[in-house]
Amino acid sequence: MAVSGLIPIVLLGTLILIFSGRLLVQWSRRGQARVVTIEDYSQARAALDSVFVETAAIKRIFANEDTEFISQTGTGDVQRFFLKERKRLAIQWVRMTQKQVAHLMDLHLKLASYTYEPSPRSEVRLTVNYLCFILASNGLLILLWLFGPFKAVRIVAYSVRAAEYFSSEFSLRLERVDPVKLSSARQPRSV
Amino acid sequence: MGTNLIWWSAIALETAVLCRGAKAALLRKYPFFYAYVASVLLIDLLRFSCYEFASSFYQAFYWHSELVTIVTSYAIVFEIFRGSLRHNPAVAGLAQTLLLVVFVLTGTYVASDLLHGGFVSLSRVTAELGRDLRYVEGALLLVMLWLFGRYRISFGRNLLGLAIGYSLLVGLDVINLAFLFLPGNEFSIGLRKSLPITYLITLSIWCASLWSSQPEPLPPAERAIDRDYALLGAKTRAALAHLSTRAGRTLWP
Repeated sequence: MAVSGLIPIVLLGTLILIFSGRLLVQWSRRGQARVVTIEDYSQARAALDSVFVETAAIKRIFANEDTEFISQTGTGDVQRFFLKERKRLAIQWVRMTQKQVAHLMDLHLKLASYTYEPSPRSEVRLTVNYLCFILASNGLLILLWLFGPFKAVRIVAYSVRAAEYFSSEFSLRLERVDPVKLSSARQPRSV
Repeated sequence: MGTNLIWWSAIALETAVLCRGAKAALLRKYPFFYAYVASVLLIDLLRFSCYEFASSFYQAFYWHSELVTIVTSYAIVFEIFRGSLRHNPAVAGLAQTLLLVVFVLTGTYVASDLLHGGFVSLSRVTAELGRDLRYVEGALLLVMLWLFGRYRISFGRNLLGLAIGYSLLVGLDVINLAFLFLPGNEFSIGLRKSLPITYLITLSIWCASLWSSQPEPLPPAERAIDRDYALLGAKTRAALAHLSTRAGRTLWP
C-alpha cells in the first residue's frame, strides 16, 4: 500500500475515534436534554419568528441616518462609542438568530428520527440550506467584526446586487444565443 | 512475562464480562455481543495453548484466528444498530440504505485491492483479508456514529459502553493495520505494542458499562410527536425560507 492509500484509512480510524468522543459528550449532556415533542418544535419556530418581531428596532441598528447624524454632531469619543455599541448590538442579533436556527434544526432532526417515511432528498436539501445559512451568517459576523454594521451591510448589499446583475446578464446572453448557429458550429469540419 | 500478564488479564476480563452478562440478565438483551465475547475468549485460550505448546504453528494460527475474530466482530455492529435505532424508524431506514451502499463500495475497493496484490502465501492472504474486512467494518461503524450524532440518538449506559469500547478498538486497529502493511513499518511496531493495552481498555469499558442492567431511554409519547416527515420537513424549510426573506428585508431597504 502506498502512502497516498494510507491517508483515507488513517482518516477513517481517526474519524471513528472523534465521532465516538462526540457520542460520549452527547451522552454526558443527556441531563440537559429531555424528550422532544412537537410542542417544543412549535415554540422554537415562534422563538425564531420573534427575532424579527422588532423589525423597526433591528433596522435601526444598521440605519445610515444615525451614523450620519453622529458624524455631523458628535465628538470623536461619541462616534467611537456609538460605533462600538452598534457593532455589539449587530453581532448579538446575528448570534441570537444563529442560536435560534440551530435550536430549530436540532429539534427538527430529533423529531425527524421518529417519523415513518423520511425523504433523504428533502433532508439533503434542508442540510444544504442550513449550511448556506451558517456560511452566510458567519460571513456577516466576520464583516460586522471587521468593518462595523454600516459598512458591512453596504458590502453585503453591493455583493448581492452585483450577483443579481451578473445573473441577469448571463440570462440575457443565453436568450440571445442562436441555437441554429450553435448547432452548425458544433458540426465537424469536412476534410 | 508482560505478554502473559496481558493475556491472562484479557481472559479474566472476558470471563468477567460474560459472567456479569449472565448475572445481570443481559445475555438475552445483547445476544450477538456476548456470542462475540465468548468466541474471542475461546480463541484467546486456544492461542495461549498454541503459544505455550506449539509455538512454530502460532503465527499461522494467529492470522487465521484473527480473521475469525474480525468476522465475528460484525455481530457488534449489528447489535449496536439493533439496540440504538429501535424507536427511530426513520434513521433505521436511512442507516440500512447507507450501510448497504458503504458495504458495497468498501467491499469493491478492498476486493480489487486484494486481487491486485496477487497470491503470495496463505497466511499473507488471510492477513490481508482480515485487514480489509476491518476496513469495511470501520466504514460501517463510521456511518452509524455519524447518524447517531446527527439525529441525536439517545443511548442507555449499557449500549453506550458497548459502542464506545468497540469504536476505540476498531478505530485504533484500523490505523494500526494501515501502518502495518506499509513497507518499512517502524511506526507500526510501537502501535502494535499498544494494541493489546487498547483491547484491555475496551474490555474494561465493557465490563464497567455492562456490570448491571441499566434502563434504556424512553421514546416520546405517540401524541407528542409527528410521524409525518413531509409535514415536518415542509415546516422547517418554510421557517428557513421565511428567515432569509425577513433578514433581507431587515438588512437592506
